[in-house]
Order: sequence, then structure tokens, then C-alpha cells
Amino acid sequence: MEESGLNFDLLKKCADCGACYDLCPSSLHIEGYDPRAVIKDILAGDFEKWTDSEHIWQCLECHHCVEICFQHYGFENAMTAMRKYATRSGKHPIQVKRGWDMFAKTGRLGEPNLGARKRLNLPEPAESGEEEFKKLFAIYKADKKTGTEEKNES
Amino acid sequence: MKEFAIFWGCTIPTRFPFIEKSVRTVLDALKLPYTDIDGFTCCPEKSLVNNVDSGMWTLTAARNVAVADGEGVNVVSPCTGCISNLATVAKDLKTDTTKKKEVNKTLKEIGREFKGESTLKHLIPFLHDDFGVRPIKDKVKYSFKGMQVAIHYGCHMMRPGTALKADDPLNPKKFDTLVEALGAKSMQYMTKLTCCGQGLDRVDQHDKALTLARLKLRELKNLGADAMVLCCPSCYLQFDNNQFLMEKEGEKFGIPILYYTDMLGLAMGINPKDLGIDSHRMDAGPFLEKWAKLCQEEDALTSAERMKEGLNADSAFI
Ligand code: SF4
Ligand code: SF4
Repeated sequence: MEESGLNFDLLKKCADCGACYDLCPSSLHIEGYDPRAVIKDILAGDFEKWTDSEHIWQCLECHHCVEICFQHYGFENAMTAMRKYATRSGKHPIQVKRGWDMFAKTGRLGEPNLGARKRLNLPEPAESGEEEFKKLFAIYKADKKTGTEEKNES
Repeated sequence: MKEFAIFWGCTIPTRFPFIEKSVRTVLDALKLPYTDIDGFTCCPEKSLVNNVDSGMWTLTAARNVAVADGEGVNVVSPCTGCISNLATVAKDLKTDTTKKKEVNKTLKEIGREFKGESTLKHLIPFLHDDFGVRPIKDKVKYSFKGMQVAIHYGCHMMRPGTALKADDPLNPKKFDTLVEALGAKSMQYMTKLTCCGQGLDRVDQHDKALTLARLKLRELKNLGADAMVLCCPSCYLQFDNNQFLMEKEGEKFGIPILYYTDMLGLAMGINPKDLGIDSHRMDAGPFLEKWAKLCQEEDALTSAERMKEGLNADSAFI
């Protein structure tokens, strides 16, 4: 988890605190959602056991914990790191892959509904930045590749 | 007022063009200087894109802001998710110059530059701060006096607070002020600031999404809310669509879901159809009927008061 960008010092305090249980919607209303249990396992180097868990996808990214937290840190950071890890390991919900594919292909998550626009008398939609986005994505991928090669060489 | 581009995002044009109708109709009626500019893409959605690749998350958002920068316009969005994502990345780049340089190096290859000069605002704080509460009050022809509605803020209207600086992230007030400006009572309720929970539908956990939706809908049903008012397509999906699905399975809530622009437009005297309200899945009929009745009573009252005043006035004869 070193590359997760997680701050272990803050996480340690978090493992002892738990103040935001009282306002985290998922902790309050979804059985089995327990970010501190995940955090303790991350600290103990045992995070892999959560990779398959549906719970790491139940953080709503509502940022409530971050705002209330005395360290301005939040349960959320740990859950985001776990999701990234799970996604890299191919353990993500099917919808995530579907959404990503659409995004990578078109730069959007859906096409404007032209029929409905006409019925509603709405103007033609503005042009999307799809072409430019695709260029940007290609450049990014190429940069990333050389970046990894350089890293491997050094 | 500086010209501003509307950032519609993906969900409104794809799934809810009638929300676009509502927003446009009201902005036109308010004669606000908005524009549509070419070149925007998905904001992008943090929970999806950031999980897969943070680099692409940053670049895509930075590019969108750069598009607005290039046109010299500000950005206003009727979607909380879009504005929060754009603002989060913009703040990140403004405070991390090394990262900003890197991002701009890549953006330069497609002829763009992130300057971060365009302000990024959600529609609610924009109406509150830039258009103003007093001017909104002045536009009200038909008040919602006597109606009680439940505001659902939508987490990303004001969180992360440091990036958006839109309102108090834990105790927001602006939406309340705007609703009360229309004469309605903004209800205080237990789950008012709880997340809608729609995100769960995006990770294949529909039953859990419904658990969260029920939470508010049950409370509002018990409290007798006339409607829920919100200003985010994702929250709208959760409470309109998912409520409708649950009602089809036999759970009754009966809470009409309105966009803020629906209420504002109605108060200004705009026809519900021109606001796309007839396209909502949850029937807004009961809300509109109650309101029409109250408006009639109000009219009758003022006419009775006027007559009384006239009768009490000094006689012209004696
Ligand atoms: S961001 Fe996630 S962990 Fe934090 S309060 Fe919201 S649901 Fe809970
Ligand atoms: S996120 Fe902050 S408030 Fe919540 S348990 Fe951790 S340290 Fe405490």
C-alpha cells in the first residue's frame, strides 16, 4: 500500500478515534460497513483480505468524514485506496469497467438524448471535446509508458 | 455579470433532458448571460475514473477548466458531482505548482492551458451569491406560502469545502434561503444532510441504494412533506426513479421530486410543462393541486382584505 498515497500516521490516529461513525451514512445504515476494521488491517499489512469485499465499494464519497475529522483526513481516504487497489487487481464491480470503457472511448458517460431534446424544444447540444480528449488520452498513455520504462531502466 | 458557460455534465443530457429544459427556461426568464460552449467532456466522475486512473482524472478535469479558461467565461453547473470534481482538481492544481506545470505540459500538446481563472460554481450558490436573494424574491408572482418542502442538498454542492467554498460544508444554508425566498417552508428533518446513496447503484449494489433512498423518503412521508427539492441529477435519479421503482413494488411514499428551477419557475408563473415537470416519474400533481388551492385561497383572502379596507375607509359622503 505504499503507493496508495495513504498517510499512515493519520491512519493510526484514525484507528483509535472513530468519531465519524456517528455521521458516516454507510456506517450507520449498511450492515458490515466498518472502515476502521479496514484501516486496522491496512496498518497491519493485512489489507489484501478486503480486496474482494463489497464493503470497500460502499463508501459514498460524501466527504462527511473528511469535513468532520480533526485531522481533515477521513475514512474515505482508506476506502479510496482500497478501491484503487482492488481495481488494479481486477476485482471491481462490472459496472465500473463498463463505465470506464465508455469514458475512455468517448470522453463521456452517455450520449445526449436527441429525440427527447427535439420534443422538449431544446437547442442542439454543444459539441463535445471527444476528439481532443482522445488525443490527450493517447499522449497520456504514451507518457506513462515511457515513464514506466525509464523507471524500470534506472 | 460575467458571461458563464453551463457545464451540463453527462447525466442531464443523457437521462434527464427535461431538467435541462427547466434550467434553461428559468435562466432565460431571469435574463442571465449564460452560454453553451463546445469542447466539454465528462467532468470526469471521480468515483469511477479516479479509481481506475488518477492521472486521467486530473487531466480530464483540468482540460475542461482549460476550455472555459480559453473562452474567458465562468462555469456554472446544475450538477453537484460535476462542479465538485472540477473544483477539487482545480484547487489541487492551484495549490501544487509542480503538478500544475506537469499537467500544463501535457495540455500544451493539445493546445490548452489550465489557468484556473474561471470561477466554478454550482447553480444554487451561484443564484444565491451572484444573482441574489432579493432579486429572486422580487420575481415571485405566486408564493409557496403554506407549503412545506424538504431540501436535499446533495453532498457535492458544498463538499469538499476547501475546494468549493460554496457554503458551510457541515451546516449549509444557501439552498434553504433560496427555497424560503419563494415563500415555502424549508423543513428541518433528521436525515436532511445525509447522502442520497445513489453511488451504490453505480457499483452494482442496487438493494443498498434503495436502503439509503428509503431512509429519507420514509421520514418525509411521516412528516408530511409536500415535496422534496434538490439540484443534482444523481440525487434526482435516486429519489425520483428509485422511489418510482419501489412504489411499483408496493411501497408507497408519494413524495414529488422537484428541481430547484422547477419551484423557481413555477413561482415566476411559468407553466409546469415548460419546466418539464410532466416528465418526472413521480407525479407532481398532488403538489401542484395543493399549491393551486392555496394560491386561490390567498387570492380570495387578499380580495376580502381589500374589500374590508375599503369599507373601513372614511366615507366620501359623510
Ligand atoms: S465519505 Fe465514505 S466513509 Fe466518509 S462518511 Fe461518506 S460514506 Fe462514510
Ligand atoms: S476519519 Fe478522522 S474523525 Fe473519522 S475516525 Fe478517522 S481520525 Fe476520527
